[in-house]
Amino acid sequence: MIDFSILQQGLAMLASPWTFLALSGGLAGGILIGALPGLTATMAVAVLAPFTFFMDATIGIPFLLGIYKGAIYGGSIPAILVNTPGTAAAAASARDGYALTLQGKSRKALELSLFSSVVADLMATLVLIVVAIPLASIAIRFGSPEFALLYLIALTMIATVSGGNAAKGLAAAGLGLLVACIGLDPMSGYQRFTFGNTDLLAGVSLIPLMIGMFALSEILMQLTHPPEGQQTAGDVEHGGERLRWAEFWVLRPTILRSTSLGTFLGSLPGLGAEIACWIAYGLARGRSREPERFGEGSLEGLAAAEAGNNAVVPSALIPMTVFGIPGDTITAVLIGALMAQGMMPGPLLIQQNPGFLFGLFMVLLVTNLLLLVFGLFAIRWLKQVTRIPHAVLYPCVLLLCVCGAYAVNSSTFDLLILVFGGGAGYLMRRTGFPIAPLIIGLLLGPGFESALRQSLVFSNGSLAIFWSRPISLVLLCLLVLVIAFLAWRGLKPKGATLRLPWSRRKKPHNANGGDS
Amino acid sequence: MNHKTLPLTLLSASLAAASLTAASTVLAQESHLPDEPIRFVTPYPAGGSHSLHAGIITAVGEEFLGRSLISVIRGGGGGAVAAAEVAGSTPDGTMLLFGDPTINSLRPQVEDLPYEMDDFVPVARINYSPAIFVTTPEQPFQTIGELVEHAGDHPDEVIYSSDNRNGFTYTVFEMLKGAADVEMRGVELGGGGPAVTQLLGGNTMAYAGAPSVVGEHLEAGTLTGLCVTDIERQEAYPDIPTCQEEGYDVVFQFWRGVMAPAGTPDEVVAELSDGFERMTQNEGFLRLISQIGSDIQFQGHEAFAESLAAEQAALREAYLGE
Repeated sequence: MIDFSILQQGLAMLASPWTFLALSGGLAGGILIGALPGLTATMAVAVLAPFTFFMDATIGIPFLLGIYKGAIYGGSIPAILVNTPGTAAAAASARDGYALTLQGKSRKALELSLFSSVVADLMATLVLIVVAIPLASIAIRFGSPEFALLYLIALTMIATVSGGNAAKGLAAAGLGLLVACIGLDPMSGYQRFTFGNTDLLAGVSLIPLMIGMFALSEILMQLTHPPEGQQTAGDVEHGGERLRWAEFWVLRPTILRSTSLGTFLGSLPGLGAEIACWIAYGLARGRSREPERFGEGSLEGLAAAEAGNNAVVPSALIPMTVFGIPGDTITAVLIGALMAQGMMPGPLLIQQNPGFLFGLFMVLLVTNLLLLVFGLFAIRWLKQVTRIPHAVLYPCVLLLCVCGAYAVNSSTFDLLILVFGGGAGYLMRRTGFPIAPLIIGLLLGPGFESALRQSLVFSNGSLAIFWSRPISLVLLCLLVLVIAFLAWRGLKPKGATLRLPWSRRKKPHNANGGDS
Repeated sequence: MNHKTLPLTLLSASLAAASLTAASTVLAQESHLPDEPIRFVTPYPAGGSHSLHAGIITAVGEEFLGRSLISVIRGGGGGAVAAAEVAGSTPDGTMLLFGDPTINSLRPQVEDLPYEMDDFVPVARINYSPAIFVTTPEQPFQTIGELVEHAGDHPDEVIYSSDNRNGFTYTVFEMLKGAADVEMRGVELGGGGPAVTQLLGGNTMAYAGAPSVVGEHLEAGTLTGLCVTDIERQEAYPDIPTCQEEGYDVVFQFWRGVMAPAGTPDEVVAELSDGFERMTQNEGFLRLISQIGSDIQFQGHEAFAESLAAEQAALREAYLGE
């Protein structure tokens, strides 16, 4: 089965010092880009891809893959340290990651995020290498009705991040869905809520709004409600203690679940890390023994979110290598870069250039190990961020946010969205409305709308399409189960823990549910 | 920190060296262009064929235009956002739109958009590609005639992958439906990637797309070509007839071209047009373009203006019956 000349060719590619150098450079640059809010992996890869046209394929492609991986991981760093997700995929990591930082455990959070990312990425890469073809042939059966149901399942995760007040959570999510309606109607091209404004035709840009809601509102909160000296001087050690092996080891079911989920979602063309992180987070909370700790610095929550979004990276390559179809926007750019090297990704690449493909797989595995090394090195410095006085740190964060928000679309209008998001986020925090549901609504709204309306075109307006197809029937049952489970948990009388056999019969500490 | 920046420095140094050798022959002649970089605006999100072409053009363009080119990727509103922005920019040749028929000929006529067709002057057509109607080998029809017959026997039951309302695929299917007088239903999926996915997954029955999107699947046999919307057969796919040969008058050439805002001085348009012409004759440029499965059908600003006016008139007739 294994052709040794292919193995040799692949390994030779890896042995080249230039490949290694390009990979390391890409990875370091990627971590930096991901860590800067607003600079996304997609943009970095798209901007740098034309330069790889002039390079050898064994240098250019590993360089781009390094950036891609580095940027997805890098997004979690500012999410943890300053509550500003560097990329949309890291939004879920900000909840528990930043809570840990506030408790003086930033080092632990950073290490956990790194380890979960690397482990998830490693497992997903093995899946890509071993079962790409069977997985892809299942994934391609997913049509619009299945996507609509997957989006609905993801939307139910709002319940898990709404905190104590479900009504406020629903209101925030509804607002997010409404904001998502702004812009050109995806099917008919009709202008909705644009008030004649050209910039609104494209809708409200997600990333500037998200940076505003998370980062700007955080800065405003720091201005008006400075923390009561809980983490100024006198910190035992900068960044707090390390992550203990035992703490990581007990998380293995959580990480395994998140990884499988992220791998599967990533293999569906069109679904990316932004949605995987929230479903993984919600799933982990649902299965957790201490769901009340989620949002308050739960290691499980952070590990789930990070494993979920990083597992998407290798598996998004599955539709690309098997069918030549982009798994997400970044792989679309990668396909372009591969084509410029004279290689058509897809069924023909496997037949015509298996050595290169094998080399790519090896590169992916090596990138992971490098990520671990780079990450550990970066954490030694990053944990010092918490020592920076807020009077210095926050103006810097503000500057980066403004630059990042502008960079997304080179649009000055996006700066207004940033400011608007900051103001709205501040008001929501002051009045106890959770921000996460709004972001989820905004993120999933457009995809859900398109999938739903496409399904109804398929079926000529009949809703039966959601249960007449075998896969969608399964998903529909899953959706009902998820809602039933959430309702059962929510309606369960307080203190009735005896009915919950795996909760260790522990009394919930805080009656109002914990999250805020 | 140092050992992290080193590889980056090395890499950027080699990049700089590569681009320097390419740009060693900057033209010395007098120029009408302002002495600042040209912003080359791609109106679609990164990853499509537009951004791929723009990446190559902006990477090599400086040598031929005498100004560096900055690639601005500005998606949204199916291209309308970027088009409106370029239309409203200072008309001095420093901001150019990478346009196409849907943005510059069709949508301003049939939709209420924040820019008009006349807000642009044509500078240069880079190339065009026709659409190839395709289906999967599992479908009951394997020629364009059988497709039309099947659609005639089962009105509104043939579901095809479409891209966007008034997009490339959308338009050629509208033309086919008009030419053959049949009813079929299109699902707007937003782009070529998802459209092919849904077709391969058996959720839709047909599609029409550029050779760069469907070509590999035609070679691998996972898709069957029905007919091509050009006036002659494609060199790469000599077995696929044109739609006209099969008796359906569907001709649509999806061009990619450089547009400047209206009011740009004629000598600037002419200078840019000449610059792009020299670029499209360059061997290195042609090699890169052929590597992304594309080629060049250049038209200078005068010829392009004529063919553009003809296309706009034809679409007005097809859609509005004027």
